[in-house]
Amino acid sequence: MEMPAREGVNKMIPQKGMIKVSDSFERIVHWCLAISCLVLIITGLGMMFRSFNFIGIPFGGMTNLKLVHNFVGLFFIPALFFAILVWWREAGKFKFPDDLEWIKVAGGYLWHVDEVPKTGKYNPGQKAFFWAVAFFGTIMVITGLIMWFPLDLPREFVRWMYPLHALGFLVIFAFFFVHLYLGTIGVPGSAQAMFTGYVTRSWAEKQCPLWLEEMEKSGKLEIYGQNTIHVQH
Amino acid sequence: MSEKVKLFDLSKCIGCRSCQLACKQWNQLPASQTVNWGTYQNPPDLQYNTWLLMRFQEISDGNGGVKWIFRKDACMHCTDAACVKVCPTGALFHTKYGTVSLDVSKCIGCKECVIACPFDVPRYNAEVNKIAKCDMCFSRIDATLEPACVKACPTDALIFGDKKEIVEYAHARAEELGGDASVYGDQFVGGTHLMFVLPDKVPVYEKLPENPRVPVSVIAWKDWLKPLSLIAAGGVLAGSFLHYIIHGPKDTSGNGDAGKGGGE
Repeated sequence: MEMPAREGVNKMIPQKGMIKVSDSFERIVHWCLAISCLVLIITGLGMMFRSFNFIGIPFGGMTNLKLVHNFVGLFFIPALFFAILVWWREAGKFKFPDDLEWIKVAGGYLWHVDEVPKTGKYNPGQKAFFWAVAFFGTIMVITGLIMWFPLDLPREFVRWMYPLHALGFLVIFAFFFVHLYLGTIGVPGSAQAMFTGYVTRSWAEKQCPLWLEEMEKSGKLEIYGQNTIHVQH
Repeated sequence: MSEKVKLFDLSKCIGCRSCQLACKQWNQLPASQTVNWGTYQNPPDLQYNTWLLMRFQEISDGNGGVKWIFRKDACMHCTDAACVKVCPTGALFHTKYGTVSLDVSKCIGCKECVIACPFDVPRYNAEVNKIAKCDMCFSRIDATLEPACVKACPTDALIFGDKKEIVEYAHARAEELGGDASVYGDQFVGGTHLMFVLPDKVPVYEKLPENPRVPVSVIAWKDWLKPLSLIAAGGVLAGSFLHYIIHGPKDTSGNGDAGKGGGE
């Protein structure tokens, strides 16, 4: 067993013995998606609620706000595409019955559970998040593009794009806060997975025990300070 | 300030199009090149620079003859206006007269009103990225004048006045005409501020919806999903906070009773 990182040590700087859970490409994709999503939420809110029209001021007015929303939306498309590509294998497939057992006890997140079924790299909650982003993100892209150029399509069809866009917003906005909470103070030690790519061993043992076992067995586990050649992350 | 209504009595219209012209003049709307497609109706449809269009129809009078129909098509100025409901910036708004006006400087060219309108009225002008439609001559009626189209009408087919009086007159006129004559406008979308006296049944008239309403999609979007999205986000935020102070964060430190309690 590796020494857990000592208290008081800044875990945002990888320490000896910490485990690599995400490579630089994953982290770049994550932040491209996160930042574009955040800008889209803020600019979208400015147009969705008249009382939020003031959000348009720093953009130089609501016309520019809409322009920023539309073009950041274009940036969101490849970010979403690569996110689905990158996490599809590990977070896109539910594994039964293991995942069902985990869902029955809500992963131990909501009430005390003596033994939570072990999960792989991502637990069913995270898989649900993946699907929410993949499905509703795609909805946002399709409805958003139609809303951008709405005049030449059947009116009755185009009319439904707006409530669908609002529904996608509802789901993504709500999940955004869940993701933010569980990625930071809700599950301490998680955030660095998306900054440095390294987490503590104890974190990995709790969050992705089956993945950890599998990686150790296959010898693919990357441990900070132990590999002969350390590739700059 | 009392609500104002403009009434168009089709039985009195002679199809001279003075109203259409007066609208263009007062609002300084340029003309677009069109082609003759075998009708007096010109341009073929409402445009960003044609806010009032006389629609010409020829129908059978039932005795082997032809009957002409002239119908004024323009913004209906709904009380429950779908366009005002969807406009993200408040560019479209209700005036104190109940009419729907447009603050062009606030329009961002999103075209949401174009899609939402049950009467297919707002038109998009790509050149300036704005929409355009009849505002019932807001600048005129606010100066106690009648709209330009009403002013120009030589037969009083178009009249303008306080809602109560006009609605009363419209119903009396429809009764006077008898037969299939009816009043169009006060029975849906909370009442329109452009109303018609129609000598024939509604389906006879082109592009005149029988039962116009704010689209269900607009209600689902603006009345249900919009507030729901804030409730959902607020609920999640409150839930996360409660989770943190009641259940507590997950212990991932590996210290002490790791693996027990604290919620794996």
